Amino acid sequence: MVGTLQKVLESMLDRLYKYVTIYLPSLLAAVILFLGAYLMAVVARWVLYRIFKGPAIDKFLRQSGLAFMIDPSGRLRATRIVAETVYWCFILCGFLLGLSVFDTDITTQIIQSLVFLMPKLVMAGLILLGGAWLGHYLGRSMLVWAVNESIPGARRLSVLVRVVVMFVAVVVAADQLDFARSVFLAAFIILVGGGVLTASLAIGLNGAGLRRFLQGQNEQPTEDSHERSLWNHL
Amino acid sequence: MAEPLPADARRAAESIGKADIVIGIPSYNNGRTIGHVVQAANAGLSKYFPQLTGVVINSDGGSTDNTREAVLSASLDEGHLMLLSTPIAPAHRLSVPYHGIPGKGSAFRLVFQMAALLEAKACAVVDSDLRSITPEWIDLLLRPILSADFDFVAPYYHRHKYDGTITNSIVYPLTRSLYGMRVRQPIGGEFGVSARLVARYLERDDWETDVARYGIDIWMTTIAIAEGFRVCQSFLGAKLHDAKDPSSDLSAMLQQVVGSVFLLMNEYEAVWRERNGSQPVALYGFRYDVGLDPIDVNVECMVNAFCRGCQDLGEVWSTALQQETYSQLQELASAACAGAQEFRMEDDLWARVILDFACAFKKHPLLSRQLVQSLTPLYLGRAASFVQQTRSLGSVRVEEDIEKLCLTFEALKPYLLNQWINEPPPAMEASRMPPVPERAEQAKLEV
Repeated sequence: MVGTLQKVLESMLDRLYKYVTIYLPSLLAAVILFLGAYLMAVVARWVLYRIFKGPAIDKFLRQSGLAFMIDPSGRLRATRIVAETVYWCFILCGFLLGLSVFDTDITTQIIQSLVFLMPKLVMAGLILLGGAWLGHYLGRSMLVWAVNESIPGARRLSVLVRVVVMFVAVVVAADQLDFARSVFLAAFIILVGGGVLTASLAIGLNGAGLRRFLQGQNEQPTEDSHERSLWNHL
Repeated sequence: MAEPLPADARRAAESIGKADIVIGIPSYNNGRTIGHVVQAANAGLSKYFPQLTGVVINSDGGSTDNTREAVLSASLDEGHLMLLSTPIAPAHRLSVPYHGIPGKGSAFRLVFQMAALLEAKACAVVDSDLRSITPEWIDLLLRPILSADFDFVAPYYHRHKYDGTITNSIVYPLTRSLYGMRVRQPIGGEFGVSARLVARYLERDDWETDVARYGIDIWMTTIAIAEGFRVCQSFLGAKLHDAKDPSSDLSAMLQQVVGSVFLLMNEYEAVWRERNGSQPVALYGFRYDVGLDPIDVNVECMVNAFCRGCQDLGEVWSTALQQETYSQLQELASAACAGAQEFRMEDDLWARVILDFACAFKKHPLLSRQLVQSLTPLYLGRAASFVQQTRSLGSVRVEEDIEKLCLTFEALKPYLLNQWINEPPPAMEASRMPPVPERAEQAKLEV
């Protein structure tokens, strides 16, 4: 009994020793590579924060409203974007290099998948960013229009526009990543179908009448009355 | 001259050859009033410029009523005019549809193109919905150009105190404080223009913008002032015109007019930054008092629109307004929405709102359209405040109030310059950032 136990323990220790002797150097090499990449990432970020200014990108971010959208404090600058992007690129490269040291089938597969996925991830990220910007822009346009036209629930309409546009962006991004395509597509078709049906009903029921009805519910004077009273603004 | 002259307009101009004076009348479904305007223009040419050849051009935007027929059939018995000398030739009359973006600006463009082709010495444009136009208007708009070498004649009218609220509350004070010239009706609608200035207008390539619509009037006035053309005003009496289409969109109109002012601010930055204060502009014509149509104004509706804007448009306004301006507006809205008896938007607050929006227009070009459209509730709030303040006042006192507003705008020019150059953070940013005392204090001190 004791002999059997001893044999099992010895074989386990042998296996462990074998694994350690095979993988420990690779693991050490991977850690060293990753640490090297991390150090380079930190240095590159530090340098970029000090030397890179990018006023043209700053201007674009500010003028397009992207700066406020991504960071509501409005402090988003090109320097930060570039420095952080470079930092994470180094970290990712270090991680992939570290993995490649093991040289096994599974690590090679992980690296290949990540490398092939990267352009799609970037594209999907850009699509989501574009969708968020467009949703924000169209939502605000809807808000301004609805307030000027005295349409009830202006803010809700604005949020609805943002959600719809963002949802379209998510569908496109999911398609780009081959992720749950059919689910998103089905949801998208249902949403668009519902929207078209609502619009058809609204037109059928006379949109102006509906608006008058809604305004009548609130019993508030309409914009038209002062429009008629204050004839000439110019 | 990017947009070519339509073939029928070119043929018509070629058949006439040359003309000394061109009178342009833009129209769209003005069959009811345009006949009177054409008669007045013809009579003006016969009575005051008998030795010159004139053409009256109706530039029509595709009217579906009898506008064009009314132009061509408008007749006038010159025997009733008691002319001192017989005109060398009767004035030609044309009605031509314009092409391109539908709007007053596109109509004017066709008139100017024809005036250039006809080598006219002077050109006048008058609205087609005028009820108070007389033959004297033609003389008053053209004489300063033909006899005194002016390039641009702006109108000067007596208007009801509530008429022309965009002019009184935004365009006149802002234009005056920027360019330093007191042109009282910069978007009046009736102008006299010299051949030199017509050529300059046609050289420009921004006809396809808001200039094609309601932006045309301020565009013409600003170019004339900012580029150093000789500018004067003519007193035309009262401006009475047909009621505007009630369905016309106020926010679109406001956006076109105010957007054009802000756009021109960018272009002529070098000009207005150098100018301080303002000077009067020569005024021709005999001034007299006239009776005016009463205007009924519903203040409650306007205050409601203002409150609605304050409730919903905070996220848009806070990207344009400075922290202090935004806070004051919020206080005002709270009081108004709580049903305060008196609603009063002070001159200083209103001027800072407009100047903040002007700077935001420059800073966020992609959002400029929605920013200016979001001004509508603020403008209605200011109009409501103005009406409440001036309800019991006569026209002279009202004019004094407008003068005070203009002086406020002029006094705030350093505030504008500080924002324009330094771009301090708007309310949205400032509320989330640690305070930046230097700039805020500097702005206060400079004001």
